[in-house]
Amino acid sequence: MDATLETPRPKAAAPDPASPAPATPCASAAAVSDAPAPLDGDALLDAVRRLADGPLAELADDIDRRGVYPRALLQQLGTLGALRAHHAGRGLPGRDADYGLAIRAMAEVSRVCGATGFMMWCHAACGLYMEQSCNPALTGAALERHASGRRLGATGMSNPMKCFAGIEPLLLRARPAVDGWRVDGTLPWVSNLGPDHVLGAVAAVAPHGGRGGTDAPAGEIMFLVPCEAPTVELRPCPAFSAMEGTSTWAVRLHDHPVGSDALIADPARPFVGRIRAAFVLLQTGMGLGVAQGAIDSMRTVERPLGHVNRYLDERPDALQAELDALTARILALAATPFGTARDFLIDVLDARAHASELALRAAQSALLHAGARGYLLSSPVQRRVRESHFVAIVTPALKHLRKEIARLSAEEYPA
Amino acid sequence: MSASASPRPRRRAGAEGAGPVARAVAGAGVPAPEHLADLPPAASALTGAAPPEAAFRQFICRACGLIYDEAKGDADAGLSPGTRFEDIPDDWTCPLCGVGKADFEPCEPDAPADARAAAPDDPPLPDRAARWAARAPGVVVVGGGRAGWQAAQALRERDPALPITLVSACGGDVYDKPVLSVVHARGLAPEALVRERATDAARRLGVRLLAHTHAVSIDAGARRLRTTRGTLPYRRLVLACGAAPRLPAALPPRLVWRINDLEAYRGLRAALDAPRPAGAPRRRHVLVVGAGLVGCELANDLALGGHAVTLLDTQPRPLAAALPPLASQRLLEAWAGLPLRFVGGVEVERVARVDAKLTWVATRCGLSFEADAVIAATGLATPQRLARSAGLAYDARAGGIAVDAATLATSDPAIHALGDCVAIGGRASRFVEPIARQARALAAALCGAPEPDGPDAARPVALRIKTGSLPITIEGDPRAAGVWTVDADRPGELVMTLWRDTGAVARLAARAPEEVRVRHSA
Repeated sequence: MDATLETPRPKAAAPDPASPAPATPCASAAAVSDAPAPLDGDALLDAVRRLADGPLAELADDIDRRGVYPRALLQQLGTLGALRAHHAGRGLPGRDADYGLAIRAMAEVSRVCGATGFMMWCHAACGLYMEQSCNPALTGAALERHASGRRLGATGMSNPMKCFAGIEPLLLRARPAVDGWRVDGTLPWVSNLGPDHVLGAVAAVAPHGGRGGTDAPAGEIMFLVPCEAPTVELRPCPAFSAMEGTSTWAVRLHDHPVGSDALIADPARPFVGRIRAAFVLLQTGMGLGVAQGAIDSMRTVERPLGHVNRYLDERPDALQAELDALTARILALAATPFGTARDFLIDVLDARAHASELALRAAQSALLHAGARGYLLSSPVQRRVRESHFVAIVTPALKHLRKEIARLSAEEYPA
Repeated sequence: MSASASPRPRRRAGAEGAGPVARAVAGAGVPAPEHLADLPPAASALTGAAPPEAAFRQFICRACGLIYDEAKGDADAGLSPGTRFEDIPDDWTCPLCGVGKADFEPCEPDAPADARAAAPDDPPLPDRAARWAARAPGVVVVGGGRAGWQAAQALRERDPALPITLVSACGGDVYDKPVLSVVHARGLAPEALVRERATDAARRLGVRLLAHTHAVSIDAGARRLRTTRGTLPYRRLVLACGAAPRLPAALPPRLVWRINDLEAYRGLRAALDAPRPAGAPRRRHVLVVGAGLVGCELANDLALGGHAVTLLDTQPRPLAAALPPLASQRLLEAWAGLPLRFVGGVEVERVARVDAKLTWVATRCGLSFEADAVIAATGLATPQRLARSAGLAYDARAGGIAVDAATLATSDPAIHALGDCVAIGGRASRFVEPIARQARALAAALCGAPEPDGPDAARPVALRIKTGSLPITIEGDPRAAGVWTVDADRPGELVMTLWRDTGAVARLAARAPEEVRVRHSA
């Protein structure tokens, strides 16, 4: 899924559906001139770690329980360079796209706050769509604005991913129009949204002249939706566990125009197939980080409680060894994020599944290690249990991953 | 909504605040840490002042883990930043759980993240080995073919209590794969090949069966097998995952059959036996690519079953790698009365669908064929995914997981392998005969009691080629350099020997079935 809010909260940059906020001023190249140069490599990871252990750790409980949307922190991550590591030619001399770095940065954030790590992924996935669209209107200055975090973005791809896996139908419908398409429909929950955000979405294209719905679709298009458009309405969602601060909204499109400037891919399916491994690989940062946070909290109670914790099944040393091996495996896969070979895809899906399973086990074990103090609502230990559940159910969920691995593993024979 | 959104009223210290729960937690907890001795002496507390130059300290609530940081104080309770712990009024209570000041103890700062790797887990408990044995995961077997079931059976014979899980990508029904090559000649339906249902075999052997489950990867460090139905911890892993057909790029999997298991064979038979429109001939045209062992056997059997078969190979004669030319010649002669045509010296260049029924095959030299079904019998290779994920030594030249001949152990001592997926002494073994012996040797190695006669897993085996019109048996190595002599060559029978300086290195006997020989001599 993409995740929520019980009620619009003032701190959460809540849009007023009745009067959409005005578009942020169009970023020009000049707007960046005073921004510090983005960091890279270990310097970036150190800076992200400091931000995570400092201001993010301070805010994590408010994000979780008061639904505070950490917009400023996300934008600081952008300023540091943590939202552009997976982009090619990212303005850093001699550096190309580095998915491993993007994943590690996301893990550092998720270690402290899984919800913020998830929002980092939402934004990074949106950047992936823009970059890979090769649409001049979505790359260049627009992508730079996105990669620097000046404009935040989201992904409405849960529904299309499930649709393409044969799990559910597409929720958005596009009608051909003179200047492109007009799109109607509602995506039930999209995270990391705000009145000045963008999101990537897919709509089924109705045959020419049809109003959509009854006729068989004539393919799909993928496009970027600017939330400030008057044809876009953000509506509050019910509350979600562990994801209150992720600014999650239902997105309703009313006769929303999609022109060539907003087009990410037509047809959408081959494009989604091409970026699938990269999309899934980026998500592994969440699971790795939540697992690491859980192991860290097991260590902190080792001195007072080690004498009883040694009777538990999953101990921090063994979990850390498994996490380190998985991290190495994921970083090796991240060296070729656009691979499409069958065995590579299976490896990527399996690594993502492993990260989910390890986060579940580590978070659960951390709670058992911490005991009652970890069960306090203010404790990150129990928050992490909920975050690990989220890692395992967010699209592609553990069950979807296994189903897809089984599909890819089956021998193909003549019909 | 949440407790902390509206701070609850403070409880007072005293009998209630430091109540039974808090005391129980503290009592069950750590023995008084040595560094309690480092606490400022009571005199210091009485004066109400810690030495001003001392660094700020932290105190942890033994009940809930809240940390009182002298540097931050507790604004809600009116304690300004810098308030020393000993200066806190005695009626102060933990802002989180309400226990009293007495339930706090000095807290050392958390270990920095860098210390993670260095912080050791506890030393082993004295009873760890016993605990391990009591809840140890058992043996996980990957593969529901002959090798997997034989391994499960051999392990069960050795140890009635061993937990065994068998993971099978297919249904796992027990059947004899070699019979797939002679089904038509014996007039059998595919269903008749099943000797025992997988669920029955599992019950008989006390095995947990995970059918239709793909083994995805091995986390060798954590000893966990990852599958599409969950992750299985193992004490020992047995790979019996077989070999898979190797398809040249010109043969797309969606257009050609590969007959390597019963489910694929069922699919082929369903396609061949599908009802035809009235008036259309029952006989199908089947094109078999590859005239090695499997290709010749299948082509012969399908032709005996009445289908028109075209058999292609890049070599000019069938079974060129295994047989001397005279034996290939006699095989071709034995096929003469069948609807079976051998076309040698050709290589398939393209396969395409003509329509829903017909497939078109073109060779590099310009021949083209239309067939109702195309079967590829172009060799086998061991899939490397699992072995690679565990970092197992793989014999790329032989095409199998390298295992020790005596114990069937791979390069990871917790992982063994047998059957079609292994290479022993630089050679892959793709025959049925050694599997039972491998299973026994493997079970002996896993259960810690060697076979009484010593391992014999690597004994040479006779090769039986089940070409129905002229079955051929070869003992020894027919590919060795040497000279073939003819010991007998009469209608329906050919016996040859391969000689080298040292003596006979291989012997070949081809004998037509009785009824064929009778027909010849008549």
